[in-house]
Amino acid sequence: MDERTKKLHRDLSDAVVNLDEDLAATAATAVVAENRDAYQAVEGGLAHGMDRAGKLFEEDEYFVPELLLAADAMYVGLGILRPHIRIEGTGRGKVVIGVVAGDTHDIGKNLVRIILETKGFEVVDLGRDVPPAAFVDKAKEIGADIIALSTLMTTTMPGMAEVIEILTAQGIRDRFRVMIGGAPISAAFAKRIGADGYAANATEAGELAVRLAADAAAAGQAA
Amino acid sequence: MNARQRYAALSRSDPLDRLPCVPIVGNTAARVLGCAVSDLRADGRRLAEAQIAAYRRFGYDGIRVFTDLYVLAEAMGATVRVPRDETAYLDTPAIAEAAAIDRLRPADPRRDGLLPAHLEAAARCLDAVGSEVPVTAALTGPFTTASFLIGADTLVRLMIRRPEAVHRLCALALDSALALAEAMMDLGCAPSLTDPMGSSSVISPRQFATFARPPLERLIRAIKARGHGVTLHICGKTSRIWGDMVAAGADCLSIDNEADLAEAKAAVGGQVRLMGNVPPSEVMLKGTPRDVRRYVRLCVAQAHDNPRGYVVASGCSLPTETPFINIDAMMDAVTEIGWPPRLDASQDGAAAPPEA
Repeated sequence: MDERTKKLHRDLSDAVVNLDEDLAATAATAVVAENRDAYQAVEGGLAHGMDRAGKLFEEDEYFVPELLLAADAMYVGLGILRPHIRIEGTGRGKVVIGVVAGDTHDIGKNLVRIILETKGFEVVDLGRDVPPAAFVDKAKEIGADIIALSTLMTTTMPGMAEVIEILTAQGIRDRFRVMIGGAPISAAFAKRIGADGYAANATEAGELAVRLAADAAAAGQAA
Repeated sequence: MNARQRYAALSRSDPLDRLPCVPIVGNTAARVLGCAVSDLRADGRRLAEAQIAAYRRFGYDGIRVFTDLYVLAEAMGATVRVPRDETAYLDTPAIAEAAAIDRLRPADPRRDGLLPAHLEAAARCLDAVGSEVPVTAALTGPFTTASFLIGADTLVRLMIRRPEAVHRLCALALDSALALAEAMMDLGCAPSLTDPMGSSSVISPRQFATFARPPLERLIRAIKARGHGVTLHICGKTSRIWGDMVAAGADCLSIDNEADLAEAKAAVGGQVRLMGNVPPSEVMLKGTPRDVRRYVRLCVAQAHDNPRGYVVASGCSLPTETPFINIDAMMDAVTEIGWPPRLDASQDGAAAPPEA
């Protein structure tokens, strides 16, 4: 990657961390005008910046207001870059995504949705504050491959376990891969509730979804 | 001893039969009375009946007239959804942008929204059982009410982009809160303050000090001027704002289970009474009576020797469907522990908290 591209990615990342919408717009516009890869700019710039902001949040340096304004800067950049993103593939699979009930923070989820779409997934976004049963109903309805659950609040983490309990109770747990993420989530928590995967940030979530979809396809052929 | 005698003894460090205990019962009171949650909100008589019935059923040490956080913001123009038999929630803020702040007027407690009904409920509770148990009425803090008036997302953006607009909005919310507090105190009822948006789970300690604390301080000063002690509850993480909560004038901090009682005792226990922090959801709603007993024991072990006194309480308002047996277990545990506290764990196994 050339120096100029690196610089623009750094600017995008800094714009998000520093809550600077103007810099996000300038850098994103430059990426487009100079015909640089828009998806890489999202991943290496905007998502990178959101990840840094998320870490500052975990460290109690940033709070909800800073995260919201970081997201505002991210959305400004995304609005400019998104029309120029080349979809990597299609037919990667179907994903139902949403923020579990009790939580209305959807910044991370929105970023993951865009990355999944870019990776070639068909994504149904249930939004935020979604009851556990609604994830299951929608996944059944559209024949989803993956259910992706997000939360920013510890109080709503049990809602993630509930989705898996509902799937198990209905005898359809093995029809779906369940992935979870969000600030308070850990790999240990994912394991404890029996989720198939955990991602620490949006970029990892994209890679995880690709891996889970491949697993599902392989399992489907083996069956 | 009745609750009033218990608090008096606690304040004088006199002998007690047991520590005061307050499972913070809000809409669970509807389950005791056998009516729908939504029947309570607008009906002062019903709300009082439910709160009195719950107090008599469980025998705890404090009635707090509370249905939801939105009553004051609603009286200033926010709209609230009231689903049948569930806790009300904010539907639409009163205004959508900073330019509209000057259109807002402070609420008149004798006239606006459901304030008269909530005042009636407080008066009825006082009349029925006020001689034996403290009756407080919940009052939402100015910063939190401000967030309901303009929407939390808009408010926090303004905090960074246009701080002066947030101060103006908080000043209006303060005027409403002061008027409501005076009306409560005219009845002989102490306001009980809650300011959840000030939590460090939402805004930074510096933002709390800048925006939430000044109006809170004014409000507390007005309440103390009329001889009432002030309990201040803020949900979630609060360790970094305990100093500000104390400096704002609170006499008692009600601590959420996301904060640590022992740490609170060490930090501010010489200045304020503490209450808390049995987890309302993980333990009171979802745990067994055994979990409840174990957790009460843990809380008492942490805070019984707090220099300014300790009240066993849930970390926040109990979820509506909290099983009665768990509230009973909380009261029983406090009675068994007695005073001075007997903390051997023989009755409930290890003193470790249940896994969250």
